[in-house]
Amino acid sequence: MKLNQLAFRNIFRRKRRTLITASSVAFGVLLSVTFTGTGDYTYTHMIDAGAKMGMGHVTVEPVGYQNSPTLNKKLQHIDKMLDEIRNLDNVSDAVPRIMGQAMFASANKSIGGVFIAVNPNIENAKNNLFIQSLSEGKLFSANSKHGIVVGYKLAHKLRLKLGKKLVYTTTDASGEIISRIARVKGMFKTGVDTIDASMVLLPLAATQQALGYSSNQASLIAVLIHDQRKADDMRDKIASLHSTQNYEELSWHEAQPDLAGVIAMDKSMNYISQFLVGLIIAAGILNTMLMSVLERKHEFGMMMAVGLSPQALFKLVMVESFWLALLGLTLGIVITAPWFYFLYYHGIDLSSGFGDDFTYGGVLIDPLFKARLFPESIVFILGSVFSLAMLAGAYPAWKAGRTPPIESLKTI
Amino acid sequence: MRFYWILLGMMITTSAWAGDTRTSNILSEVDDLWRGKSSHAIATLNIQTQHYSRSMKLESWSKGKEKSLTKVLSPLREKGTMTLKSGNHIYTYLPKTDRTIRLSSGMMMSSWMGSHLTNDDLLKESRLEDDFDARISFEGERHGQDIIEFTLLPKEDAAVVWGKIVLEVEAKRHLPIKEVFYDEDMQVSRTFTFTGLKKLAGKIRPSVLHIAPADKPNEYTEFIFQELTLNIPISDSFFNKSALKRHQR
Repeated sequence: MKLNQLAFRNIFRRKRRTLITASSVAFGVLLSVTFTGTGDYTYTHMIDAGAKMGMGHVTVEPVGYQNSPTLNKKLQHIDKMLDEIRNLDNVSDAVPRIMGQAMFASANKSIGGVFIAVNPNIENAKNNLFIQSLSEGKLFSANSKHGIVVGYKLAHKLRLKLGKKLVYTTTDASGEIISRIARVKGMFKTGVDTIDASMVLLPLAATQQALGYSSNQASLIAVLIHDQRKADDMRDKIASLHSTQNYEELSWHEAQPDLAGVIAMDKSMNYISQFLVGLIIAAGILNTMLMSVLERKHEFGMMMAVGLSPQALFKLVMVESFWLALLGLTLGIVITAPWFYFLYYHGIDLSSGFGDDFTYGGVLIDPLFKARLFPESIVFILGSVFSLAMLAGAYPAWKAGRTPPIESLKTI
Repeated sequence: MRFYWILLGMMITTSAWAGDTRTSNILSEVDDLWRGKSSHAIATLNIQTQHYSRSMKLESWSKGKEKSLTKVLSPLREKGTMTLKSGNHIYTYLPKTDRTIRLSSGMMMSSWMGSHLTNDDLLKESRLEDDFDARISFEGERHGQDIIEFTLLPKEDAAVVWGKIVLEVEAKRHLPIKEVFYDEDMQVSRTFTFTGLKKLAGKIRPSVLHIAPADKPNEYTEFIFQELTLNIPISDSFFNKSALKRHQR
């Protein structure tokens, strides 16, 4: 049977209606791409920013460090672990860090905060958000004894300028209170107020010495990977390494549960709004398809009278839906491509609406409204819009198959 | 009380002053004047801040430079609260909860008993000689008094927030007059003034220490000495952490 040919002719008989139906499908693609694309972009951005703020996508740390991060818990033989981890596929970087709490004091004031001791030879703007957001000065060198990089708000509170000194006091590995002097080498401005007001970077080697650590000890290893979605796989892979046996491995979900919670909530909100948009679009398609079926009642009656089976009619309308959906998708891709291109490369600047605080859930977000799509997201969008269109065509098709021939012929 | 000595110690600090002998001799002499082998004292602590003013009576004991114990005698609400300094650590004992707390690094920079001194000030006192280089920066008449002025500059690696400390001492009796702490920009950060000369433990000494933070002109902390006995017999175990509860009685 020439259902395809018939369906085609039917579609193009009413060009305007076809266009309207196809446009609503296309519009669905556009909205779906916008929602999913910004989601994909924003979450990746947030997760990567979170990872670069200290813990990485995957963290190797001493058992129990997550719940009580004290300086007497430390990793041994970090060189071996770093070697093994860096050799894994998909790992973009692995860096040792010491994180701890300290009091920072100048002659004017003292403030409690957090220090991250980093090795400047292997830390850079790519794996460390603080280095990326240096606003004044520069990072200390690897053998620096007194270098420190502080958040600009902390510096402001302590009335520090570049080159000025501050004293930090903390508890070393054996529980003794130690004080050391440091001179401000640089300042960073991440845009997260709480971080800018409480965080400092210290040179790893000097910190190891001050805390009584050997050069092969640290509090954690932050592992950064190319694709944040593979964090859980990577965690399991790292956990199965020989050198990490006595330690705990956490993915960013576990190391930063607040961030994971924020993203999960935002994602479900996104899904709900996508679902609602989908419903409206489906209603639109249903409407036009139903109209086209009811309009052709007479015609269907005639076809049945000359011997077309109800199944064949059902199929006919479904095939029409199929081609309509396909047309709609094509149109959708055509109109979405430039929009997506714009969002991907330029984005919309929302910074005026944010004020100065570009944070959400304690993590930096990009004030640009940008989009990116994972391959599976594209498949998901096209697949769901297509099946939505087909689903919306099902009822009219069923209706068409049930056309009573005699009655239909009576009405003109 | 002991903290008075500690503060005095900050400027007058003893023994191992590097540099020329005259400087170290005078500083040691002044220090010896204040710090016996051990001490017992009763003093009043007055604190005036923007938000509150309070007055406390304190009793304190000390032995050497590293050990001291301070106990609140009044007001009743805080009676029995003790601060123990032993070597590198400071402990606080609260009678209400019957608990001894070792101050963590995070508490070192917080105020001691609501005054303008921090716990860290108490702890660092005895290490001043390691942290600073002293020299005589002025000698002669100032404000109608013959004085010697010492300038203490922090050593390069020393964990000290100050830019410098300037100490004025009476030229004849070597009694402290004023001690000024400067920040790194050489702006005054706080000033200690020593007044109320009176006979204590057999010698003339200032009995009032006035501490004024530079950025809060209406605030101060004041120690006023009532009694002082030097070189009393006292055992090391008196300053044990476990002895805190015993002293409570």
